[in-house]
Amino acid sequence: MSLVLDHVSKVYGRGAIAVRAVQDMSLAMEAGEIVALLGSSGCGKTSTLRMIAGFESVTEGAITLAGRRIDALEPAGRGVAMAFEGYALYPPLTVAENIGFGLARRKGRGEVDRRVRAIAELLDIGDLLERRPSRLSGGQQQRASLARALAREADLYLLDEPMGQLEPQLRAILRGRVKALIKERHLTAVLVTHDQTEANAMADRIAVMEGGVLQQFASPDALRDHPENLFVATFIGEPPMNVLTVERCGDGVALGGAAAVAFAGLALPPGQRVVLGIRPHRLRLGEGALAGTIVSNQWLGDQAHVVIAFADQLLVAVSHHKVAVRVEEKIAFGFAPEDAHFFDAATGAALRHGGLGR
Amino acid sequence: MALHKLLRAAALTLVLLFFLFPIFWIVVMSFQTNEEILRLPPSLVFRPTLANYTALISGHLQTASGILDITFLHNLWNSILLSTCSVLLALVLGVPAAYAFARFRFRLGEDIAFTMLSFRFAPPLLVLLPLSLYFQDLGLNDTYIGLIWIYQLICLPLILWIVRGYFEDASPDIEYAYRIDGHSWWRAFTRIAIPLAGPGIAAAGLLSFIFAWNNFVFALILASADKQPVTVGALAFVTASGIQYGQIAAAIVLSILPTLALALYAQRWLVEGLSLGAVKG
Amino acid sequence: MTGLEISAIHARFGRHEVLRGVDLAVAPGETLVLFGPSGAGKTVLLRAIAGLEPGALGQVVIDGQDVSARGPEARNIGMAFQNFALYPHMSARDNIASPLVARGLPADEIATRVVEIAQLLRIGHVLSHPPRALSNGQKQRTALARALVGRPRVLLLDDPLRNVDAKLRYEMRLELPRLLRESQAATLYVTQDYREAMALGDRVAVLRAGRIEQCDASETVYDWPATAAVARLFGDPPVNLLACRPVADPAGLRAEAAGFRLVLDASAEAAGKACLLGLRPETLSLAAAGPDAARLEVIATTPLHERLVVLLRAGDGTEIVASLLGAAPAPGAHVHVAADAAAALLFDAASGARIPARRVMAGIAA
Repeated sequence: MSLVLDHVSKVYGRGAIAVRAVQDMSLAMEAGEIVALLGSSGCGKTSTLRMIAGFESVTEGAITLAGRRIDALEPAGRGVAMAFEGYALYPPLTVAENIGFGLARRKGRGEVDRRVRAIAELLDIGDLLERRPSRLSGGQQQRASLARALAREADLYLLDEPMGQLEPQLRAILRGRVKALIKERHLTAVLVTHDQTEANAMADRIAVMEGGVLQQFASPDALRDHPENLFVATFIGEPPMNVLTVERCGDGVALGGAAAVAFAGLALPPGQRVVLGIRPHRLRLGEGALAGTIVSNQWLGDQAHVVIAFADQLLVAVSHHKVAVRVEEKIAFGFAPEDAHFFDAATGAALRHGGLGR
Repeated sequence: MALHKLLRAAALTLVLLFFLFPIFWIVVMSFQTNEEILRLPPSLVFRPTLANYTALISGHLQTASGILDITFLHNLWNSILLSTCSVLLALVLGVPAAYAFARFRFRLGEDIAFTMLSFRFAPPLLVLLPLSLYFQDLGLNDTYIGLIWIYQLICLPLILWIVRGYFEDASPDIEYAYRIDGHSWWRAFTRIAIPLAGPGIAAAGLLSFIFAWNNFVFALILASADKQPVTVGALAFVTASGIQYGQIAAAIVLSILPTLALALYAQRWLVEGLSLGAVKG
Repeated sequence: MTGLEISAIHARFGRHEVLRGVDLAVAPGETLVLFGPSGAGKTVLLRAIAGLEPGALGQVVIDGQDVSARGPEARNIGMAFQNFALYPHMSARDNIASPLVARGLPADEIATRVVEIAQLLRIGHVLSHPPRALSNGQKQRTALARALVGRPRVLLLDDPLRNVDAKLRYEMRLELPRLLRESQAATLYVTQDYREAMALGDRVAVLRAGRIEQCDASETVYDWPATAAVARLFGDPPVNLLACRPVADPAGLRAEAAGFRLVLDASAEAAGKACLLGLRPETLSLAAAGPDAARLEVIATTPLHERLVVLLRAGDGTEIVASLLGAAPAPGAHVHVAADAAAALLFDAASGARIPARRVMAGIAA
């Protein structure tokens, strides 16, 4: 079922103390898609989710689900299932009863039990079904809450920080299983998270929000390769994108003091200041026209993070193999022109992805 | 929507009337003479008089059968003395005890705490008879010290329970950090734990003051006229020649003024103290 | 004998033994990471070292002096807490100055040192604010400044980056090693994130159920974990542990599980025993069909920081996680996956201990 947000806004309070939690947000999701609302706390993602669910009224704009306008309907009438950030499990019921809560009416007893058991096994809580929520750990409660949402039949699934409390060892497997389940059943899901790792892992497209404003809505690859502004560029990606100050040189820019690396032909208007972004995985060590000093070389088991001091800044380079350099060593480094991103230093807007140069 | 607001306003008005009307009526009564009070039907139009107040303050009451001496102001002083001293003693004893209950795990800790709270449940009449006998034996009958001691039954449980909640809510890590910095245990208690529990201590102190002030039974049985607080002193207005309603009303107004003023001044702390840190932040 | 030395630390809460005999030594300027799952006892251990656990037994020696009987205020320790533990009714400046005030230093020296450390941690501009007016990152730096300002001999950092957002966390991971080295204190750093452990620690001590299971350089813990449990904790995505019963082979031991067939350089005494084959996700790769490669079904692909984490299922239902570079295979497709035998691990299924390499038998350590 496709979800459309049309110029949706949410304002809390009135007059001088009004808070614009969500500003003029428009979004169109396809049926069967997983979309993540990603941003730091206070960016408006939870308010947006609550408006879709019906726990908050919409100040302006319209929300449509499967062609039907839902923003004036009660939550129960919207055909939406939700997993809450605070789990919201019913304390006097067992885990099995919690998960099966929304199913009891329409199906037979046996069918309900089967579905509950299947989803519980998937989330690795199959042997906790007879316990009450108070006897579960935080991670187990979170899985029970997620199971309850996924067990229901709904047009749209809303998941609010569904895996933040999971034990780190379980994350990789459970992410895979949940994603497989959603895709297999062709469910449409909206996931809210502040963890860009989780958004990247689960979502087909990510809506990056900040200060109530939608920054960019695109696939993880597009966000990585064509970020529309500096905020998105540095928010997505771990380690964050390296941002270098560059000098203007004609209608292009140069860095490295003696114009060691220059990007011409950028057609920048005079006076516009520019910064250059380069992702850590795209920095090439040992070869290139730039030179810096190694500050640290950390091997993390499956990748190396090398920190280089260059022109009063610290740059991070990531390699999938061990790098044989020592602290204090001088090193040459560089990057391919097509991996450079240019941003307006004043507004943060992206100017160009990939430059021509030497 | 408009109906919603109208109904809410109506309900609020009803509730306010219900609670505030008695106080309003008493204030009105205190400015009326006995004859006006007893007139039927009662009327809001009258000539106000200060005779009741002057009688109280001067200590002389004019009745049909002559002049009576009233010790109302002395009773007021007793109330202030007893309540203040009881609360102070309860704070000195209760705050460290609350800290111990909150921070240290010792055997029977919960049981002891609950026993102390149970003092609030028991009706005072239960213990009064044996208590008055003991007090006579100990020579504590009709002494300020005896009364202050007994008033701990009222004040101490309140302080223990409210302040303990506050200490429990404050993260012990903050005190640990202070001690690791190099400060002693005592300084951590006085400079960190107590300031952070300030609202709770203030609220508990205020509530204890109000309850101690309102107490009737203990002072009635265990003290003579000389040590009686205002609550018992009001009985003096029930004279052989009739009940002096005007003076009673004036006495009531004068005796609720201190606690009312305190509560209004500190209402923010009272609400904060009573919500016991319900909001995590 | 300088730095921090602790021996035979025991602690119990009621009938539950939280720490069961912990021994550690940290040199001045060294950072030892204390790594373990939640409930392992890491915070209790730090508190015991700080003198905040009255029921803890054992010996704590700082710079050669036995401080086990002293209170926390007399141990010259700096500590940073997970929830910052700043004094809410004091400004950031007074928070940081607290250890110096406790020592009774003159006011102007206190002021100088506070400003110095604040500038080093880049919070000089918010010194007059109370904690509630600071962002999480600034609170954490204030807590660190307070721990460092007294130039303590021992630094105890209890997962200080946990409540800080991801970007700032990464920044601090770059700054902290230099800061800690310059402080010359013996540092004990607690974390549950193995990457943070590898980035910050010279050595890692893995604490599990109240005992140190392994204490080595971080790379050694990753490549040669002492037990299956350590292998599983230390790595993300976690290592695949597959049940197998290896047989002897001229080149070592041959182990087969879930379709993988590998010859490992492992001691022959494990032949015929119930074992666990440990394959780290990043040592698996797509390969051509062959007798040694496993034929697996792709369940889902979840991108993770430039690598692709793929959830696979073997014919017998076993789930396998691989971390690949390159194009994503489609869900539902069948692929062939090969494992790097040189990086494979073998554990005894009963005890969990790693089966050492064959060369140990010949007297050469491995």
